[in-house]
Amino acid sequence: MKREAVFYTAKDVAERGKQGIPDELLSGKSLVYSSPATLAYNSPGAEGFGVKRAGLSVPESVMLIVAPGCCGRNTSLISNMPGYKNRFFYLEMNEADLVTGRHLTKVPGAIKEVLEFLKGTASHKLPKVVMICITCVDALLGTDMERVCRKAEDSLKDSEFEGTRVRPCYMYALTREGRRPPMVHVRQTIYSLLEPMEKDPKSVNIIGGFAPLENTELLKYLKNAGIENIRQISTCDTYEEFLCMAKANFNIVINPEARACAEDMHNRLSIPYIELTRVYGTDKIAAQYKALANVVGTVFEDEEDKAEADGAIARLKAEYPDLTFNIGECVNGNPFELALSLARMGFKVEEIYATLAPENYVFVKKLAELSPSTKLYCNMEPTMLYYDISNSKADITIGKDAGFYCPDIPNVSWNQDTEPLGYQGVRDLMNRVYDSLKEDRK
Amino acid sequence: MKGLRKVLTPFAPDQSGASGVVYSMGALIVIIDAGGCTGNICGFDELRWRDTRSAVFSAGLRDMDAILGRDELLASKIESAASRIDASFVAIIGTPVPATIGTDYKALKKLISNKVTIPVVAIPTNGMKTYNEGEWEAYKALIDEFAKDSVEDESGEIIVGMTPLTYGDDYMDITLDDIKRIKSSKKLVAASSSGIDACIYSGNDFEIYNPVVRANIPDGITGKTLVCHDEVVGKTIRDAGIDVDIATFFKLHDSIKRDGDRKLTEEDDFVAMVKEGGYDTIVADICLKELVPDFEGKWIDLKCFAVSGRS
Repeated sequence: MKREAVFYTAKDVAERGKQGIPDELLSGKSLVYSSPATLAYNSPGAEGFGVKRAGLSVPESVMLIVAPGCCGRNTSLISNMPGYKNRFFYLEMNEADLVTGRHLTKVPGAIKEVLEFLKGTASHKLPKVVMICITCVDALLGTDMERVCRKAEDSLKDSEFEGTRVRPCYMYALTREGRRPPMVHVRQTIYSLLEPMEKDPKSVNIIGGFAPLENTELLKYLKNAGIENIRQISTCDTYEEFLCMAKANFNIVINPEARACAEDMHNRLSIPYIELTRVYGTDKIAAQYKALANVVGTVFEDEEDKAEADGAIARLKAEYPDLTFNIGECVNGNPFELALSLARMGFKVEEIYATLAPENYVFVKKLAELSPSTKLYCNMEPTMLYYDISNSKADITIGKDAGFYCPDIPNVSWNQDTEPLGYQGVRDLMNRVYDSLKEDRK
Repeated sequence: MKGLRKVLTPFAPDQSGASGVVYSMGALIVIIDAGGCTGNICGFDELRWRDTRSAVFSAGLRDMDAILGRDELLASKIESAASRIDASFVAIIGTPVPATIGTDYKALKKLISNKVTIPVVAIPTNGMKTYNEGEWEAYKALIDEFAKDSVEDESGEIIVGMTPLTYGDDYMDITLDDIKRIKSSKKLVAASSSGIDACIYSGNDFEIYNPVVRANIPDGITGKTLVCHDEVVGKTIRDAGIDVDIATFFKLHDSIKRDGDRKLTEEDDFVAMVKEGGYDTIVADICLKELVPDFEGKWIDLKCFAVSGRS
């Protein structure tokens, strides 16, 4: 028995064509190896923003997880984070509930008991929204959670809790590769709380992320274009402030998983949207900003920011001309696009650890022209159990998962909650790599 | 309300218990789930996972797999993995998804056994019971598959139930060889609730105590004391001559239960026991203190990973 991890080179994959991507690189073709590298895949809520944290991004909300105990078990990791105290509650299902569906009839009473409990806490702070998080079991039972939530809202009428919104959050891991995976659905749920409001031509929303965009040139460009209110859900302190997102003249979508909710907002609230993709090629970023500026009816003066990002690339290249990267998929970015961008910058990419979705084949095809020997591994493939770092000659790794596979090589995890965007993303990544290598040299 | 938790997070579930028992036995472990349960087990409940590479896999079920009951596809994936991974046996561990669709574990085991050359153990957990039940299911499945009525070497002590979920960093692994000789070992010790069940099932004589707790009875216990932990922890402290009532959110065997002991289910059960008990000392995980902020006696923190996730 060979005890080694399966890989294919970029050249192999390019030659096979989009329809011939090897099974070992695809999702759903084998058991999913569970290592720290794949934790974010197996349990998106365990790291970063999964359904649970995403649902609670609505200001002044709490969450009732109605599920078997196992589904809420790791929530204590989140409960201990700042801002989550007294925000998670659990209604545990048992085997009888599975057969009778009785747990659903208990939801209104459980919500009331939670609200009474919160009224009695030191802060006496009552939530404006109760998110009901349900899981795979209810997906299979075909539970109509919209109806359960409506009934729960009705049950609060004529009580001191009247007006509290109750909304479903679907943590259906089973549907992860379906048309509406959980992280798409939860964004739709969140923004479905918005009601039509009078439009403000000087208001824009940035949607898709759950932590604020910081330090990005985008906010500056929008302000220079006369946009006075730039709203992100993560910067709304109150529920009322969040509701004002309905005033936006247009939405900027920074994560493809927010496309469906942007469509909903277009249809229901008449808010059009434009999408910005996170890429690491400065020419591509410039092209995206140009398109956005056209929509806004202005010109973004981005030369300085582009020069700064290009300067960071040049500094790294000057100091480390033969720098070789290994790249994982637990990063703020598309690992294949990132690899291609790095290759175009003149760096080497030795290994990529990522599941190759067919839509990313185009990046591999172009990468094969510049770096045919780049090895593609799939994080989830069972033989990754035998991945051997000693075969890698990389100088630096990007991605939390890449750090796991190559513990002796300097790593930039680059999967922070506060996501990078545009030139700022390129500049900061280059500088982080530069700093990590300098630190390692010491 | 029954089943509602306002302060505590859910306890370690049965599937984590089952996985914890087989984790160090060199098995190819397959969690029959969509991914989240495996993430919960590995990313939270399995302390050893971050430090050691182990063959834990998610079945990666998708909605149509569950709806159509594609057991054949699952068995083929396991066959493929087993042909490329060195493993002593295959352990399939249940979750709420197979529980909902009524998976026949006996049939699934047979299906997989026909495709692989190593033994297969099916552990029918469902994510709705507590971890001790999953540990017990795992011990039972292992004994059924591997235990021998007699072995050449019957010497050596076997301690059953010292799992990380109960005892955190003080855990002691049980090996596949231990399972093979559990029925005839000269000295068998049940160190937790699931250990008692396993020892009873083995048919061998056994003692009940926790060796680590017995050697380190917590300092500072005074007066009437409540121990809220695994029942064997309570018994071990009681056996040291301390006036103890045992409370446990897990199983309380009749052989251990005395007047004043109580099996707890809800948060309010613990609150009521403390209020009515008039205890001078409580020995329990500190996370439970939030339930009884008015308790004025002494609190001795005794971590229980299955309750708090603290090791």
